[in-house]
Amino acid sequence: MVPVITRALCLVGAGALLGLALNAVRPNGVRFAAFAPPSACTMSPSGGDAPTPGPVEAMAPHDAAGLCGDASTLIADVRTAADFAQGHVSGAIHLPCTASGQAASAAVDLVRGRQTLVVYGTGTDDARRVADELRQRIRRRDLRIVVVSGGFGAWSQAGLACSSGACAQCAAPAAVSASVAPGPGSPP
Amino acid sequence: MSPRAVLVLLLRLAVGAVLIVAGLLKLRDPTAFATEIANYQLLPAGAAWLAAVLPAVEVVVGASVLALPQAWRRGGAGAALALFVLFTGAVGSAYLRRINIDCGCFGTGGGPIGVLTLVRNLTLTVAALALLRLDRPRPVVLAPTAPAISG
Repeated sequence: MVPVITRALCLVGAGALLGLALNAVRPNGVRFAAFAPPSACTMSPSGGDAPTPGPVEAMAPHDAAGLCGDASTLIADVRTAADFAQGHVSGAIHLPCTASGQAASAAVDLVRGRQTLVVYGTGTDDARRVADELRQRIRRRDLRIVVVSGGFGAWSQAGLACSSGACAQCAAPAAVSASVAPGPGSPP
Repeated sequence: MSPRAVLVLLLRLAVGAVLIVAGLLKLRDPTAFATEIANYQLLPAGAAWLAAVLPAVEVVVGASVLALPQAWRRGGAGAALALFVLFTGAVGSAYLRRINIDCGCFGTGGGPIGVLTLVRNLTLTVAALALLRLDRPRPVVLAPTAPAISG
């Protein structure tokens, strides 16, 4: 048995050295110092042969608000924790772009059984970035993914429901209290 | 060719081919593979190193099982067994923790982890174990010596 283990270790060692050498000479090799663990915006790699999910829709705040009362809708806020604590859409989970891959995976789990995912940010682009990532990750053709045009600012200006409070579990998506309280950007 | 030799040949082809194909597919985009490893949340700090090393190890071990003489093939089968145990443990851990991630077993886009992924990995583990047990030198049987005739 010892010769088998010795030879197995030799083969693994040779493969490891070959891998490191190949990685060093390849232009697209993984960079050890620069590699960052996946976040909500990088958790799924590019490419892949999985079926293409449906597109991400952009929707005006008033239209998006019509989806919010539905139990089959999940709302995600991609802004910073401070912004989220100051005011957010009622029932939204906090999922910033910097959230860990674990938090993003938990968010993906929350989407199971839902028909619509509404994502909003400070503006449209930051929400779309996370929405695109989640879209690639979830890969459900029947899931409608909506980005709120203009972000939370447009939502607040439209006088739509907001809530506020400390973000206790910003590292992981947390169900937010449904109590409605006016945020700083919302009209009285 | 004995049934045992045929079985060993089939096991070598299956284990070797799977390892080589999986390794080559992972070699296409090592950074994406590093992300897949980090998604398992087991060794996030070592993800980049594993992504650089594992695909080449798979190719070398797979090639050894297919092409090298028997003594080295057995070493390759042992290494393949260790790899499959490692992969099955990682996949099983992600499945039990209900982490919704891609398997990363054949590079990117391998689909999410499920029961079928676990069954496939367990099958490959059993195949590598069987190869290690069956692909061994046949024992030498000495012919009985004729009794000396004393005269």
